[in-house]
Amino acid sequence: MIARTTARIRGWGRDLMDWMEERTGIVSLTEKLLYEPTPARGRWLYTLGSATLFLITLQFLTGILLLFYYVPTTDNAWDSIHYIMTQAYFGRLIRGMHFWSANLLLFVIGLHMVRTFLSGSYKAPREMNWVVGVFLILIVTIMAFSGYALRWDQEGFWAWEVGAMISSYTPLIGSWVITTLLGGDTAGPATLSRVFALHVWLLPAVLAPLIGVHLYLLRKHGEFGATFEYSERLAALRKRRQMEETFGSVEEDGQVADAGDHSQEG
Amino acid sequence: MVDIRYGPREPVEEGEVVTEENVFDHYDEPQGFFPGQVVADLTVSTFLLAIVVVLAYAVPAPLTEPMDISTTVYVPRPEWFFFFLDQWLLYFPGAALIAVGDVIIPGLFVILLLAIPWLDKEPAYSPARRPFVTVVGLLVITVIVLNMLLALLRIVNFTGGTPAG
Repeated sequence: MIARTTARIRGWGRDLMDWMEERTGIVSLTEKLLYEPTPARGRWLYTLGSATLFLITLQFLTGILLLFYYVPTTDNAWDSIHYIMTQAYFGRLIRGMHFWSANLLLFVIGLHMVRTFLSGSYKAPREMNWVVGVFLILIVTIMAFSGYALRWDQEGFWAWEVGAMISSYTPLIGSWVITTLLGGDTAGPATLSRVFALHVWLLPAVLAPLIGVHLYLLRKHGEFGATFEYSERLAALRKRRQMEETFGSVEEDGQVADAGDHSQEG
Repeated sequence: MVDIRYGPREPVEEGEVVTEENVFDHYDEPQGFFPGQVVADLTVSTFLLAIVVVLAYAVPAPLTEPMDISTTVYVPRPEWFFFFLDQWLLYFPGAALIAVGDVIIPGLFVILLLAIPWLDKEPAYSPARRPFVTVVGLLVITVIVLNMLLALLRIVNFTGGTPAG
C-alpha cells in the first residue's frame, strides 16, 4: 500500500516536471546552470564574485526596507533616519546592515577586481566581462557616495557638496555637472531629490541589468580561475613542446610523425 | 535523472594532444557548480552576513547633527573609499590643478582600467610570466593604499574646524 502510494506520488512529480519542462525548459536550464564544471582547486578564491553579488542583494533588500520610513525631503530626511535608528522595529539593525554591507561591498569588489587582474582572467574571450565589471565598480562607488548624502546630516551633506564642487572643475562640462548634481546653483531641496533619484532609481536600474550581463558572460565563457587550475595540462604542453624540439612533431598517439633528425628514428 | 556533467575526469585524456589552443579548455580538477562551488559561496556569504549583523549592532551606522547650510566652519570627512582622491588633491594645489588631480587623472585611470585586456598583450596568464603588467598593477595598488593611509593619518590628526562624527 505504502509502496504503491509512493510510486504514484513519484509519478505525479515526474509528470509535473515533464509538463514544466515542455512548456518552460526550466528543468534542463536548471541542470545546465547547476552542474556546469567549475575549477575545484581555488574554489575559495572564486567566492569573491558571489560574495559581491550577495552584498549587493543585501543592499537592495535593506534599502527597500529603509524606504518604508525614509522621507526624501530636506525637512524630514534627517528626522526619518533618526526615527529609523531609535523607534522603528529593527531600524537600527536594518540601517546598520545597509551601511556595513555597503562598506564591505566596496572592499570585496576591490579584492574581486585584484584577483581577476592577477590571474589574467580578463584575457580573450573574457574582455567584455572585465569592461562590464569596471562599470559595475564605478556605479557601486557612486551609489555609496550618494547614499552618504541621503543622510542629510552635516557630514553627508558637506561631503556631497565638496564632491559636487570638485566635479564642477571637469573640463568643458563642469558647470552642467554641478547644476545637475545640485539641482540648481546652490544646494537645497532639489539636491536631495536628485540624490534620492540617483541612489534609489537611476543607479540601481543601470546596476541590475549590468549584473545580469556580467553573470551571463561568466556562464557563457566559464570561470577561468587561475593557472594552477591547469598545471597538469600546462605540464603536458611543456612536455610535448620539449618532445617536438627533440624529435619533431608528435601525433595524437604520441608517435613521432616527422622527425627533423632522421637518425632519431633508428 | 539528472545528467551531471563534471567535464573530463582526467587532466589530460587518453590520446589527447595538449596544444596552445586547447590547454585552457578544461580544468585539471573540475567540480560541478552544485554542490562544490555553491557550498563555498554559501559559506562565505553566511560569514559575511554574520559580520554585517554583528557590526550593525556593535557599531551603529553614523548620523551626525542635522544639515545646517549656514555653517561656515564644518570640515567634512570623506568616506574611506574616497581617501585616495582626498589625499591626491594635496598634490595638485590651486583651482587650476583640481581638474587635473581629481578629474583628468582619475578619468584617464578609468580608461586605462577599461583598456587593460587590450593593453596586456602577453599570452601568459600567470602573474609571474607577465612581469610588466603585474609590477605596474601592484605599484598602482601600493600607491592607492599608501595614499589612503596618508589621508587616514591626516584626518585622524586633524584638529581644526568642527570635529567630524
